[in-house]
Amino acid sequence: MERTVYPLAAVVGQAQLQQGLLLAAINPAVGGILLRGEKGTAKSTMVRALAALLPEIEVVRGCPYSCSALQGEDRCPDCARLFPSLDTRIRRTRLIELPLNATEDRVAGGIDFPRSLKTGRVVFAPGLLAAAHRGLLYVDEVNLLDDHIVDLILDAAASGENRIEREGISFRHPSRFILVGTMNPEEGELRPQLLDRFGLCLEIAGSHDPEERVTLMERREAFDHDPAAFLAQHQQQSDQLAHRIARGRALLPGVRVAAHLRSFIGELCRENNVAGHRADLVMEQAARALAALEGKLEVSVDHIRFVAPMVLIHRRRVAQPPPPPPPPEEQQDEQQDETPPEENQEERNEQPQEDPSEQEAQPPPPQEQQTSPDDQPDPGEQQEQEGRQPDAGREEAVFEIGATFKVKAISGAKDRVVRRGSGRRSRSRIAQKKGRYVKSALRPSDDLALDATLRAAAPFQRQRAGDDGLAVHLREQDLRSKIREKRIGNLLLFVVDASGSMGARGRMTASKGAVMSLLLDAYQKRDRVAMITFRKNEAAVNLPPTTSVDLAGKLLAEMPVGGRTPLSAGLVKCHEQVRNYLIKNPTAQPIVLFITDGKCNVALANGKPVEESLLLASALARDKRIRSIVVDTEEAGLVTFGLARRLAGAMEAQYFKIDDLKAQALVDIVRGNHP
Amino acid sequence: MNNRPIYPFTALVGQDTMKLALMLNVVNPGLSGVLIRGEKGTAKSTAVRALADILPEIPVFRDDPYQLDPNEEYEVYIEIRQAVQADSALAATREVVLRKVRVVELPVGATEDRVVGTLDLEHALKKGEKRVEPGILAQAHRNILYVDEVNLLDDHVVDVLLDSAAMGVNTIEREGVSFSHPARFTLVGTMNPEEGELRPQLLDRFGLCVTIEGIRTTEDRVAIMERRAAFDLDPERFAAQWQAESDALADRLLIARSLYPEVQIERPLLFEIARTCLEVGVDGHRGDIIMLKTAKTLAALDGRTQVESGDIRTASELVLPHRVRRQPLMEIADSVQTLRKRALAGQ
Repeated sequence: MERTVYPLAAVVGQAQLQQGLLLAAINPAVGGILLRGEKGTAKSTMVRALAALLPEIEVVRGCPYSCSALQGEDRCPDCARLFPSLDTRIRRTRLIELPLNATEDRVAGGIDFPRSLKTGRVVFAPGLLAAAHRGLLYVDEVNLLDDHIVDLILDAAASGENRIEREGISFRHPSRFILVGTMNPEEGELRPQLLDRFGLCLEIAGSHDPEERVTLMERREAFDHDPAAFLAQHQQQSDQLAHRIARGRALLPGVRVAAHLRSFIGELCRENNVAGHRADLVMEQAARALAALEGKLEVSVDHIRFVAPMVLIHRRRVAQPPPPPPPPEEQQDEQQDETPPEENQEERNEQPQEDPSEQEAQPPPPQEQQTSPDDQPDPGEQQEQEGRQPDAGREEAVFEIGATFKVKAISGAKDRVVRRGSGRRSRSRIAQKKGRYVKSALRPSDDLALDATLRAAAPFQRQRAGDDGLAVHLREQDLRSKIREKRIGNLLLFVVDASGSMGARGRMTASKGAVMSLLLDAYQKRDRVAMITFRKNEAAVNLPPTTSVDLAGKLLAEMPVGGRTPLSAGLVKCHEQVRNYLIKNPTAQPIVLFITDGKCNVALANGKPVEESLLLASALARDKRIRSIVVDTEEAGLVTFGLARRLAGAMEAQYFKIDDLKAQALVDIVRGNHP
Repeated sequence: MNNRPIYPFTALVGQDTMKLALMLNVVNPGLSGVLIRGEKGTAKSTAVRALADILPEIPVFRDDPYQLDPNEEYEVYIEIRQAVQADSALAATREVVLRKVRVVELPVGATEDRVVGTLDLEHALKKGEKRVEPGILAQAHRNILYVDEVNLLDDHVVDVLLDSAAMGVNTIEREGVSFSHPARFTLVGTMNPEEGELRPQLLDRFGLCVTIEGIRTTEDRVAIMERRAAFDLDPERFAAQWQAESDALADRLLIARSLYPEVQIERPLLFEIARTCLEVGVDGHRGDIIMLKTAKTLAALDGRTQVESGDIRTASELVLPHRVRRQPLMEIADSVQTLRKRALAGQ
């Protein structure tokens, strides 16, 4: 189906993006281009427009791999056999769009069912990677694509050929294409390994100039109104661009890079702490492409300077302050955080006292009890005191949400949990018959992958042909089942300590910041979240398991703090929720996050609060499906109780300080803990 | 199909914004859909069905599962016929029939293969040939696709859905099938925000967004009950009573459709659009473009060929609330005017 494409020359702004695309078009050796940016910034429009500008190519007639008839090119086995007597034709460069729903056999290729059936031998059906050979492969929202499909594509892009070793096929064919991927970082990041394999990366943002926005609207309207006239109007510019691409391609082989410029490139890459050597190679290729685009045969320093950001932006390592929160700044943030909340908290603590309506309905406390660690003489004594005396010294207060931060590593750990679940516990997943069909496997189950089964049976049909009147004869060994991947994340159950002790010294603000960060992460991972808070004498389910992370965020912001610490009640409630969830989703692996200082002082029964809570915690640890994490909010000081650590021990939970959750620190911890 | 009359669109009480958004989309399918956020029982699906009922009939080939337009998509029709190797039971027909615009519903449990289309199992086993079984997107071509609880659909189903909505084409690349067919439809999604938000990326793809709630005034609630009772008692008579108004609305929609290509806008008003988008902070340019189209459609619906400032204000309330750049955990704003004020105050 033909579609009229908005011309590249008429795109308003986005000069850098246009330049980047042209470079990739001239020199496929740059290894693909990744466009990162907000939605609605003409990403797709420009890629489609680019395809329309690419020069026509000569292909072997009837060859599904678009082989070239020229000397020295790779060819598919058929064309290689017939070479050099190949019949060719000229056609446009193709744009192949990879839909999000593509399955592995369509991307890489698989058995051609009808033809295998007829011929009685294995016939290979080429996939999208074959169709994209010598063309443009466009992967929209590459970060939402299944990882192994992305792997397939990047493998082919890097090696220039597609190797298939599956479904009884062993086959290879050339697959060289201009790879363009787009992603919106809001929706989650691409794994660093995959990021690195995109040669160039461009950050795109909308224009903030009203004049430009108006021009953009006018052009878009003109195009929608009468596409043909609009195209004609920009024909000349389009032709010029097409000419520049063609000329660039012709010049490219002759473009040289002087030796001293090579060392300049190396220098640049080293300065930016880039891992591996791909950056160096890509930068050289990109600089050559730029020179060719400008009609030059010699790469200059300016060319390198121009392409350097595109090559380095996604490859910089942490040793050098990276674009997203650099470590030194983060520390500053922390310090800023620590001071103002304290004032904040004092202010807020005063307010309720002035306002009697907000007083708690509980019996008034006999005396004010400070719970911040500095004031505590001895932990043991303190616990006893707390056990006896209600610690309602601090009235209810609502604390602001502290600074949020990236919690990359936790997500990494979560990912693994999901994958472990999917890899080894496949029976349960297949039983669900939900989720997206990503590939098939030889494995008995009732979730039949019909297409794969038919393909497996196809080559044998001639031998098996009987007189039972069936068109297809299946044997047990043909049966294939679907491997599905579910994108739905885990349950994250937040159990938040909202007692008075948490209000001290800005702890609540920092804790809320931590919870918020985890919530943001949960949002990107599409996790379900639930929240339980405990304070005064009881624990309450503020939010039953839901996908509405927004709601959790709102609740968090409004969460009042004050009262004693009924940790046991929180544990019991948590166990209740998790148990219910596990009954409904027996294969789930919920993650329980305790955010507390562990200074428990209310028991459910008559026992000692701390002992009771530890007992309950070890009960919770018995179900191995539950993974727990304790985030200790106790401040490091001269006197620390380490109660949260003991809790974590009893719960067999991972133990973190709030600071550990931040950015880099956690990466190491989680990697260490998870082989 | 039963012949029971459908509750007339014009007899719906209140919910003017939702009705307006739906009408705009019918006049100009280029607005790429409307998302209705709100509680249960607020006449969302009634309104959609009622609107479809008064739309002019469309010509289709008899028994064509792809709902192609005989006048404009004949080549595609032939192309598809060849591609899917249509068997004798569905011999290519050139007989054209007129039928009503359908409301195709996407159930919450829909799987991706039903949405996109997939391999025809029966055919594959009986004949040993690959044949495509068209999915819901094929059914929805030139019709209204109604997606209830869009926020509860699996993410990848929504992705596929919105992808097709934006492209007007559905491409199937799965289970050994490779095939594409046109899929241009008016997309209507509903959601209850309490059950989880849509991702911003998906939100952005819906052209318009309205938030509705139950009607608060007693008189209106009584009116709703009375009319509903009258309709249930004798649907034919009730429909007849509203026939004149329904016809008038149908005419108005038709006129607006023909007027739309002629609607002009002055440059200063374009700047107003751009400024509004910049002030409230919208990602990308889709907001600008949809706002312009909405304003023009509003003018057409009003019988004018010149966009006025008021159209832009109305358009902004429909187009911007769900597009405003926000932290993932912020709520969607109720009104664009408050947003603008907030933005100006912040400067």
